[in-house]
Amino acid sequence: MSLFGTSSNTFGSASNSSLFGQTASANYNAMKDIEVNSPPDDSVSCLKFSPAILPSTFLIAGSWDNNVRCWEVQQSGQTIPKAQQTHTGPILDVDWSDDGTKVFTASCDKTAKVWDLNSNQAIQIAQHDAPIKTIHWVKAPNYSCVITSSWDKTLKFWDIRTQNHILTINLPERCYCADVLYPMAVVGTASRALLIYQLENQPSEFRKFESPLKYQHRCVSVFMDRKTNSPTGFALGSIEGRVAIHYVNPQNPKDNFTFKCHRSNGTSGGMQDIYAVNDIAFHPVHGTLATVGSDGRFSFWDKDARTKLKTSEQFDQPLTACDFNAQGNIFAYASSYDWSKGHEGFDPQKMKPHIFLRSCFDELKPSSKKS
Amino acid sequence: MGRKKKKQLKPWCWYCNREFDDEKILIQHQKAKHFKCHICHKKLYTGPGLSIHCMQVHKDKVDKVPNALPGRNNTEIEIYGMEGIPEQDLKEHERQKANKSGTSQRSGQQDDDDDDDDSNDMPPMPNQFMNGMPPMPTSGPGPGQYMPQPPMPPLPPGAMMGPMRPMGPMGPMGPMPPMGPGQMGHMGMPGPNMPMPPRPPPNFMPGMPAVPHKPAMPPPPQSTAAKPLFPSAAAAIQSTEVSGSPKMSTSMKPTFPAAAAITTASSSTASSISANATITGAPVIKKPESSSGLTSKLMHPDEDISLEEKRASLPKYQALIPGKNTIQQGMPPVSRGPPQSQGNPRMRPPVPPPQGMMAMAQGMNIQGGPPMYNMPYPGSGSNFRPQQGGGRY
Repeated sequence: MSLFGTSSNTFGSASNSSLFGQTASANYNAMKDIEVNSPPDDSVSCLKFSPAILPSTFLIAGSWDNNVRCWEVQQSGQTIPKAQQTHTGPILDVDWSDDGTKVFTASCDKTAKVWDLNSNQAIQIAQHDAPIKTIHWVKAPNYSCVITSSWDKTLKFWDIRTQNHILTINLPERCYCADVLYPMAVVGTASRALLIYQLENQPSEFRKFESPLKYQHRCVSVFMDRKTNSPTGFALGSIEGRVAIHYVNPQNPKDNFTFKCHRSNGTSGGMQDIYAVNDIAFHPVHGTLATVGSDGRFSFWDKDARTKLKTSEQFDQPLTACDFNAQGNIFAYASSYDWSKGHEGFDPQKMKPHIFLRSCFDELKPSSKKS
Repeated sequence: MGRKKKKQLKPWCWYCNREFDDEKILIQHQKAKHFKCHICHKKLYTGPGLSIHCMQVHKDKVDKVPNALPGRNNTEIEIYGMEGIPEQDLKEHERQKANKSGTSQRSGQQDDDDDDDDSNDMPPMPNQFMNGMPPMPTSGPGPGQYMPQPPMPPLPPGAMMGPMRPMGPMGPMGPMPPMGPGQMGHMGMPGPNMPMPPRPPPNFMPGMPAVPHKPAMPPPPQSTAAKPLFPSAAAAIQSTEVSGSPKMSTSMKPTFPAAAAITTASSSTASSISANATITGAPVIKKPESSSGLTSKLMHPDEDISLEEKRASLPKYQALIPGKNTIQQGMPPVSRGPPQSQGNPRMRPPVPPPQGMMAMAQGMNIQGGPPMYNMPYPGSGSNFRPQQGGGRY
């Protein structure tokens, strides 16, 4: 039986408890989802599922414990640890090659590596002057390369065959977030700069946007037009519990909007706590999106109907990363401390990182009451 | 002044004189701004509705419509969108508008940005009524009305598709700035001047021309093994990498003069700053403004640097980063896998390409089959999570 089957409603709390035994804290698994075995020892910085080309599903997680881990995710929901690689600093981002044979890792140790899963070898492919915040694999018709962005205010392109650095684009500020979906790359930086690059032929800056958000950029995710299947815009999350849906060429200025999320309701004492949006992922089939926040919740949204589809219960610690698998039936998310409350907010004894898998296909169906 | 306005006046909000493009948005605005219960944030439909709700539900007297102009905060007057506005105010508004036609008017375009105080809610589509609740009638018995009346007829279907027109095919990138040949002008510079990664490219693929070293070459014919990654990559390296060179702004992007200027500026300062990831004395994040009485608190450190930068600056995480030989404070080294076959991970740069490299490089063009993952799990599980306290699983 497939736990991730589209119609499955199989994991209620009953079936789960037998799998994982007792629960440690009350809401460390607030949504009673399947836990990934052998989670990282320190906060999870990024999650990435393998591309659809592979017959089975693999999940990669990068962590602040300097390791990158790979699990095979079975249809039953079971996860089998497969391999891991190590950097000399915390991992900040990972990406897959399009053929699913390699994983690219970016680290605070200012290097990026390519990890060949077949041979389990990792080789350095990039070097920056500061920690590398994002890494993306690009396969264009006339080239393929790895794009890294760093706090050294550069965006660099690397040929992984020669480990040669082939292009540097200067950024106005330190890169805080980036997403790439050929032929579009979006980079959000400190001081709220927002840049779009086009990657066809010769990568170049396409446009500089005035940020639709008033606070520090934190995460960005490119989305595709449902009809043309090409990237048409992006969702940008900020530390102020807000996401902007932004089209590169909006047909109507009203197509762009922002919405609030990851805030406490503020019913008690009239005080509202506003949390950072830590990660955004788009559903590969439905085009709906998920956000995870420092408030320890995930939410599913339909940007076209402008409605919220679901909000999770609150976890006992922030949710730091999320991703959908290629078929769109598994939503992976990580709970771990994100430093949003500084040193004081961290209790290493209680706040153990976890990665959860949720059957999500139906929950992310677009809102039907579009009228 | 002389001639009458052709267009009809835009819908406007009686409470705050703000204009909107669409009455739907006006109604939305009124619900969010003027008809929202300050206690439970329920959005009511009229001023009297709000007053009655607060009285009945919360036993709280609301005698002023929130966020309204002085003199326009009467809770007795029933206004819904443009309906119910006193005749004289309507006339007055028309006259004022006629007088200053041509002055810019703030439209309700950005309305969905800050007005909606509902936490965690997408701004509703203008045509949607929340919760399917029938809107209160807009005209009728006036103040003191307690009984709900028959719901308003649904909005005209024509209005439904307002801002939600189908997103047609849109060239994702639109018109491209011209590039390519124009940038070839600066290619005469010798290769060695180009900043390179600190390591010479390992020469394990002899058939592969090192692209950046031959900037003057026209793009060679597209042979699979040796094609340059970007047809004019070399030019771009020249134009973008020569740090602080005045050439940059000219050669890079004539279409984006502003952008180029910024890039130039940043590149000239980059060398001084880029070495350290965190900037000391980072600006402080401004406090979130509250558009209602609700005070809000940003759950984020005060400095305007990313959480990752803050965290990465901790001694715990710096300890293992080469080049920063800070002492390891208290924390044992975070568990790492044993040195694996490619050698000690600390000895980074001149990694001799392991024998797997060649295969990998060639494998690039192969549409790879499924990875085998036939490597045993490193450390056979024991060091994968050595610090994990058991019990929980």
